[in-house]
Amino acid sequence: MATSQKTHSHVLQPLATLSPPSNSRTWQTAPHPSQPIVATACSDRSVRVYSLTSFTLLHPITGGHKRSVRSVGWKPGTRGQSVLATGSFDASAGIWRRREDGGDPQDFTHHGAKRGGEEDDDDDDDDEYQFACILDGHESEIKSLAWSPSGQYLATCSRDKSVWIWEELEDDNFETVAVLQEHDGDVKCVNWHPEEDLLVSASYDDTVRLYKEDSDDWVQVAAIDGHKMTVWWAEFEGAGMSSKDWRKETKDLDEKQRNYIEALERSGPRLATCSDDCSVRIWRRKPRERQDAANSGIPSIIRSAAIDEEWFQEAVLPQGHSRAIYSVSWSQKTGLLVSAGSDGKIVVYRERWKTTESGAHGDQETLSEWEVVAEFWEAHGVYEINHVTWATRRDKGVRWEGEEVIVSTGDDGEVKVWTLNEQSGNS
Amino acid sequence: MSAILSADDLNDFISPGVACIKPIETLPAQSETPINPYEVTTEDQVAASVPPPPAQISLTDCLACSGCVTSAEAVLVTLQSHTEVLSTLDAHPSLRAPWDARNDTQNGTSNGMNGHDESEGKLFVASVSPQARASLAAVFSISEAEAGNMIAQLLSGDLGLRNGGAHGSDFTWVIDTNVTREACLVAAADEVTNALSPEASKSPSEPGSEGAIDTTPKKPILTSACPGWICYAEKTHPYILPYISRLKSPQALTGTLIKSVLSRRYNIPPSQVWHVAIMPCFDKKLEASRSELTSSAWSDDNDASSQDPVRDVDCVITARELLQLASARGINFASLPRSALTESQRTPFPDPKLDTFLFPPARRANQNPVAGSSGGYLYHILRTYQARHPGSSITVSRGRNADVVEYSLVQGSTTIFKTARYYGFRNIQNLVRALKPAKISRLTGAKPGGVSRRPPGRGGAGGGPTDIKEYAYVEVMACPGGCTNGGGQVKVSEVQDVRVAEGLVSAEEAAAAPATKPGPKEQKAWLARVDEAYYSGSEDDSVDGDGDYKMQDSGVENGANGVVVQEDVVNGISKRYIGDVMGHWSEITGVDTQTLLYTSYRKVESDVGKKQNDVERVVALSSSVGGGW
Repeated sequence: MATSQKTHSHVLQPLATLSPPSNSRTWQTAPHPSQPIVATACSDRSVRVYSLTSFTLLHPITGGHKRSVRSVGWKPGTRGQSVLATGSFDASAGIWRRREDGGDPQDFTHHGAKRGGEEDDDDDDDDEYQFACILDGHESEIKSLAWSPSGQYLATCSRDKSVWIWEELEDDNFETVAVLQEHDGDVKCVNWHPEEDLLVSASYDDTVRLYKEDSDDWVQVAAIDGHKMTVWWAEFEGAGMSSKDWRKETKDLDEKQRNYIEALERSGPRLATCSDDCSVRIWRRKPRERQDAANSGIPSIIRSAAIDEEWFQEAVLPQGHSRAIYSVSWSQKTGLLVSAGSDGKIVVYRERWKTTESGAHGDQETLSEWEVVAEFWEAHGVYEINHVTWATRRDKGVRWEGEEVIVSTGDDGEVKVWTLNEQSGNS
Repeated sequence: MSAILSADDLNDFISPGVACIKPIETLPAQSETPINPYEVTTEDQVAASVPPPPAQISLTDCLACSGCVTSAEAVLVTLQSHTEVLSTLDAHPSLRAPWDARNDTQNGTSNGMNGHDESEGKLFVASVSPQARASLAAVFSISEAEAGNMIAQLLSGDLGLRNGGAHGSDFTWVIDTNVTREACLVAAADEVTNALSPEASKSPSEPGSEGAIDTTPKKPILTSACPGWICYAEKTHPYILPYISRLKSPQALTGTLIKSVLSRRYNIPPSQVWHVAIMPCFDKKLEASRSELTSSAWSDDNDASSQDPVRDVDCVITARELLQLASARGINFASLPRSALTESQRTPFPDPKLDTFLFPPARRANQNPVAGSSGGYLYHILRTYQARHPGSSITVSRGRNADVVEYSLVQGSTTIFKTARYYGFRNIQNLVRALKPAKISRLTGAKPGGVSRRPPGRGGAGGGPTDIKEYAYVEVMACPGGCTNGGGQVKVSEVQDVRVAEGLVSAEEAAAAPATKPGPKEQKAWLARVDEAYYSGSEDDSVDGDGDYKMQDSGVENGANGVVVQEDVVNGISKRYIGDVMGHWSEITGVDTQTLLYTSYRKVESDVGKKQNDVERVVALSSSVGGGW
């Protein structure tokens, strides 16, 4: 295997395997927004919460779902408690809560009244994740879910071809605010824009769709039709990345490059998608031109411009995979991208200024390009990798503030943690 | 439902959608198949390993299954389409007034049936909904009344269908469903009154009888006229059935009225009457195929044994399909006269009292915008209650979106009656969740504790959240915006094409216009035009119908304008008159009004899909085919 590996600037090194692994397939792992923990969706109908400090299992969350838990997501911005959403093949989503130290205890006072649990009667309920409510309505398997950055909305998507948006009006009172049925096939993934209430979904129908609220109704504002096969994942770039990633060094840039950075900022965070067609693509929003018209104080009833958005393909990443790519993830800290999929390989990419001046000078000329900086074959042995993401490194070996690790989730039931190291002897 | 299936040998031509899981149900029987321990099996491998046996799928399966409702819809669209109307017209000469033939054999030969076996002939009846007329009115930039006249001209006028086809058949009657809707509105108000009476609440329904015709719905009573909503409730939320109004829809009531009277009073078998409804909605085709809405519901058991049940509504087509019907016969719809048929062109309904009811001297008006675009059930009930409480007023407050509106009847500082409108699937979700019994909304087996309260429903924005269970009545419709926005209406994206096809706009003009895909904004603007046409109907009373027809005294006693009028005439509909007509109907058919006016619902049972007790098997199946990746 892999004898013809090219040498890259970086290498991926296994740091740990979260222990004990699940003895069934694991689907997806979500790092907690603030705590040093991750939640892993397992096909044994459970969620496993692991520590990123000790790399050990802290809490198994069981007894809720009747089929595989396919997707998990931590609600952002919660105080005094952790709130986890679970999306399952049993067509329902569950909301779970656990009090965190030093928090407001009032949300956790209801237990003890009735003990109907059949299987176990743990005494230490305080320490457990409590089932809070169930969201049902989907007709078949939920494939993915995502909280909006404010925590106000939860999006779910399903094999029933629909995308649902739920709004939490008050604790545990969720209301369906939208049922979006634009896709013609199984919807694989949903994710939110980091700065706007803009939702993206990716589907078996090979398309990617974006939705926004227009007065009361959530409507599709763009459809992206570039992948030739199933789109497995779509994820937005972090907010304000131009001050963090390859763009931050502006000293030696020419005017064209500075204008380019400015244009990128006007577009806002970009979108990465990956597909069965073995490609990872980057999409960018065409910035709105008539900013004045939008702010001219015309009442919204006669809104002049439609809310439609135009997204265009900015780049296709160097092909690193030989089979379906299931997952792609942007680092919110460095702007690096990581992808993984059916071929069991993890690939890390970096964006940089194009070195050679070539090609035409169109309006939307792309001045940057992507390179592979690290690859790792058979990261989970012969097994497929279902999900890959970035997380802040929280173990004792952390080398610098904000160091990140890559967390991969495989069919072998293992969740592995990787560090990205510069190749010695290679500047 | 199985009647049509067996008749048309459905199993041969249905091709299951990709999402249909019925064929794989046979998997456990093929025990040779090694179970992959890792749950990783690609679709190719599954397909290649053993060819699944031919799928045996019944329509009931499809309606019950989550994956593949579209297959069932496709079948129903095929079974009930404009081509079906044309082929039926071609296959049968129209019977003009067969009751005369029965009563007087000498008349039989003068009815245009020379040379035809009498049994081949059919009496063709059409009923037209106001929303379908509004859709055409918006397309052709005419009034809803004019659209109605053009439809009548097409179906039974001199320039219409009778000029073509094998027998020159056309429709004997074109009935406005607004007239039967008035009966539905009165019956709906009666049902609510009855259900909220102290006696009704004292008699709990027996377990298992939920949704039966002889049970009283629970509060909040939910509208039953929308077949999309009924189908969804029966399939996925059977706990909703006790709340659903037992009342038939105007479409179904029209069908029952025509066929029961002709069959039981005039000895014309229901199979000899062919009834097509022109509706704003594809799901109305589903409704027409319900086994509850056939002659078996009202014919005598003795009679029924000799013949198969016949549907009260044989076929449902949409406004768009009506245009296709016209063009298939080479008739330019736009050039049809916009005037009403004259009285001399009309065949009266044999029973004079019902003739006056079905073909009233004055056109029945649509309701005003506050009643909504879906028949105005809620509004009529509210006005009925208001009439009983002199001095009370109706307050309207908008909910979290345009499709949730709360209506309260208040007197002074007390709220007498609270109702709401919930349109659209997303709002229906919030409604059904609020009505879900507490015990099954739990994740079974989950750890106890956590939150024990139920998420309350939310109503008006103004008065704070309202528990949905506080509502006496909720008008539920599956389509956002109600029935004028039904799935069978001419869509904003189709308008230009239709106008070109009808010769209203030349192809060059259409090509010159910018070819932008209409977005949500254009959709809203178009819907507003359809709504405008729908509500405009009430202003056009005087322009349609011809003079001497109008001279006839209406059945509505003006003399009732006295002390009783406040309670009797609500929204221009006389409860007494409707009650009188319904009583007459019951009398001449010998069928009690409950059987004629009401129907029943049932949980759709199927071994397909995600039934609670089938979960284990589904899990086993899904793991053997790759977990549904």
